[in-house]
Amino acid sequence: MENSQKKPIIEIKNLTHTYTDTEDRQVKALDSVTLDIAEGEFVAIIGANGSGKSTLARHLNALLLPDGGNCLVDGKDTLEEDNLWDIRQTVGMVFQNPDNQIVAAIVEEDVAFGPENIGVEPEEIRRRVRKALETVGMTHYTHHAPHLLSGGQKQRIAIAGTLALGSRVIVLDEPTAMLDPRGRKEIMETMKMLNRERGITVVYITHYMVEAMEADRVVVMDHGKVAFQGTPRKVFSKVDRLEKLGLEAPLAAEFAFQLRQAGGDIPEDIITDEELAEALCH
Amino acid sequence: MLGNITLGQYYPGDSLVHRLDPRTKILVTLLLIVAIFLAKTALGYVSLSILVLLVIALARLPYLLVFRSIKPLALIIILTLGLHLFLGQGEKVIWSYKFISITEEGLQMGVKMSMRLILLLMFSSILTFTTSPIVLTDGIESLLRPFRKIGVPAHELAMMMTIALRFIPTLLEETDRIVKAQTARGADFASGNILQKAKNMLPILIPLFISAFRRADDLAIAMEARCYRGGEGRTRMHQLAYGMRDGGAFVFAFLVLGLELFLRWNPSLTLPF
Amino acid sequence: MSLKLENVSYTYMPGTPYEHQALKNVNLEIRKGEFVALIGHTGSGKSTLVQHLNGLLHPTKGVATIDGTDMAGKKKEAKEARNKVGMVFQYPEHQLFAETVFEDVAFGPRNLGLSEEEVQQRVRDALKFVGLDFDTYVNRSPFGLSGGQMRRVAIAGVVAMNPDYLILDEPSAGLDPGARNAVFREIEELYKKRKIGIIMVTHSMEEAAKFATRLLVISNGEVILDGKPERIFREDKARLLEVGMDVPQVFKLADLLRSKGMRLPNDITDSAVLLQEIRKRKGW
Repeated sequence: MENSQKKPIIEIKNLTHTYTDTEDRQVKALDSVTLDIAEGEFVAIIGANGSGKSTLARHLNALLLPDGGNCLVDGKDTLEEDNLWDIRQTVGMVFQNPDNQIVAAIVEEDVAFGPENIGVEPEEIRRRVRKALETVGMTHYTHHAPHLLSGGQKQRIAIAGTLALGSRVIVLDEPTAMLDPRGRKEIMETMKMLNRERGITVVYITHYMVEAMEADRVVVMDHGKVAFQGTPRKVFSKVDRLEKLGLEAPLAAEFAFQLRQAGGDIPEDIITDEELAEALCH
Repeated sequence: MLGNITLGQYYPGDSLVHRLDPRTKILVTLLLIVAIFLAKTALGYVSLSILVLLVIALARLPYLLVFRSIKPLALIIILTLGLHLFLGQGEKVIWSYKFISITEEGLQMGVKMSMRLILLLMFSSILTFTTSPIVLTDGIESLLRPFRKIGVPAHELAMMMTIALRFIPTLLEETDRIVKAQTARGADFASGNILQKAKNMLPILIPLFISAFRRADDLAIAMEARCYRGGEGRTRMHQLAYGMRDGGAFVFAFLVLGLELFLRWNPSLTLPF
Repeated sequence: MSLKLENVSYTYMPGTPYEHQALKNVNLEIRKGEFVALIGHTGSGKSTLVQHLNGLLHPTKGVATIDGTDMAGKKKEAKEARNKVGMVFQYPEHQLFAETVFEDVAFGPRNLGLSEEEVQQRVRDALKFVGLDFDTYVNRSPFGLSGGQMRRVAIAGVVAMNPDYLILDEPSAGLDPGARNAVFREIEELYKKRKIGIIMVTHSMEEAAKFATRLLVISNGEVILDGKPERIFREDKARLLEVGMDVPQVFKLADLLRSKGMRLPNDITDSAVLLQEIRKRKGW
């Protein structure tokens, strides 16, 4: 990993989050999680429903606070109240339902919402809004009503909102779960571009393995813990482990695994069709 | 589709009236409403009616559009006219049949009262036709700001209106979907007495409420994540600024007010006919 | 016995600036016992199309019939005909409303005017179909269930109508792989046991290939491809890509292997078969 020398922008140390369920039991949504994320990294987080992915995401910009351990954003502890607004500016959030995170009835007004909240000068807000909309390719829709946009476009507006706030880290909590394939592609392309061209750190929670395969690093969560992590190659070639956690491996990795089980001479780290074809038809 | 419904009754345009600051338009409308209530004589009403027609022309609105805004209150206007006409007390009887009699005073009173309502409706709809709901909200917030000291939650009210404007189309779409889903399960919303009908609405209302609460919850979290912390220290991208034309509008409104005051205290000035 | 659209066109908000023709002269017949997958990108007209199949929308031009009865009619028989088509909307759990699972599933059968015993039986059968134990769930609030369970209760509510045809609009949207597989297992069982007609709107080529006996591709308000999924995925790849659709992963992998010189049969549509073929070629 080229970024591993850099100081982590997010440091999670023994983070525990407990909540009380409907039957009055104490449940650990996060159980002593330790995880660093380097500046400029693209990290995908996967895991079955209830594995603690979304809870983890909400700790990254102090929407939730640890019951044990710490979460540091750019060196600042989320437990200290004075850090709250700095942290929320540094870490922008994009949520699953595109409809439920747009505040204003006009696109540009919505993108301006964040900078308005932190008291940026009007002239500067206009500059930021213009630039943010340009970056996500939504300039044409500046004066449109958000409810007439497609799901993918709405999510790009939400991304623009975090950019206008000046976020260096964008945390996306299943941003494509409610989108069609075209919208999913739009979001993935936008985030890859922001990561590569603007150096934005991306934390991307998803159910879609194809999306996670594009990340620098994949973190697999299970029952509030990090089950295992590594490069997509390392993670997705562990077909049996993924399946035990209720996750699906890419078809090529699944095939490679099955063929190896049958005694085939196939390398262990195959995850794409091309690699499989190469190994089978060399 | 329900989602395409335009909110309020904004009629986009670029006229002088459209370009006025929303605060100007709100205050001028209020002044004109005061003028309506000051009007007492026929001349007073006639001058205000001419004014309405002039403003509609100035705003480049179709006349029919503005006249149509009377429709929702048409029944009340007719009722007002009728009550004064048939029950008004007076000396000069114009027409009578058995125990019903119409007096000149009753007729005058009825026409005046209905004119008041009509003028009121027309002036306020000119305001909403020429000002988009979003701009109107900004105007209201700005006007209420001085009253924050005495506890008027100006920012909160404006934020609520903004969010309502944003979510009404979404909730309308949702309603459409729920109605269709329950219809597909054989639901019947038309038959039965009032009680049954109300009960039949539950399969629509309950999911709609649950959805509205879920959305509110999501939205609150999203707003918090974007550093929302109330109106304190908040700036706005678009700031309202009065211009020359706003000054002109105020001068004009005060002139109208003055004229109506003058006519009120000089009832001897009447129409030549 | 069929659902039939004849020369159906549909225009939204005619005569306004928002006027939009969503369906253009669609001709279509779907029989009982068919499992139809309907694909097309958002705005292609597929949700308008399915709403014609159960009488929620009536054609601007043309006729939509169920077993010969015009669905647009006001008469009782038109309403009865419409009740033969069940519709599971996207995110159907958002339409749950009753205090208990029983009451919610019973809503449809009650609207059909069935006796309390019959209603009870219908609920029992429907819950069994979606894999929820009657005694465990009937008295629970649907709102306390997990996302996947809520979805199944909502599907049960439609299944309890005993429809001859069942429309499902993206039944797997937003579910994780475990819940998704469970929902599909139940849909497939329903299809096989009751031999009804199923029309499923989906964005997933994998789902279309795996479950459907017939594939409809819709673009710009027209049905542009109609046939067996394996044939369309094999022969009309270019056309599918052109309208923003795709082919399933298995077809892609098989194509790639063929292009690299592996000799594979032309009709591979299933990953298990492909795996078998590779092992045969390689002698593993």
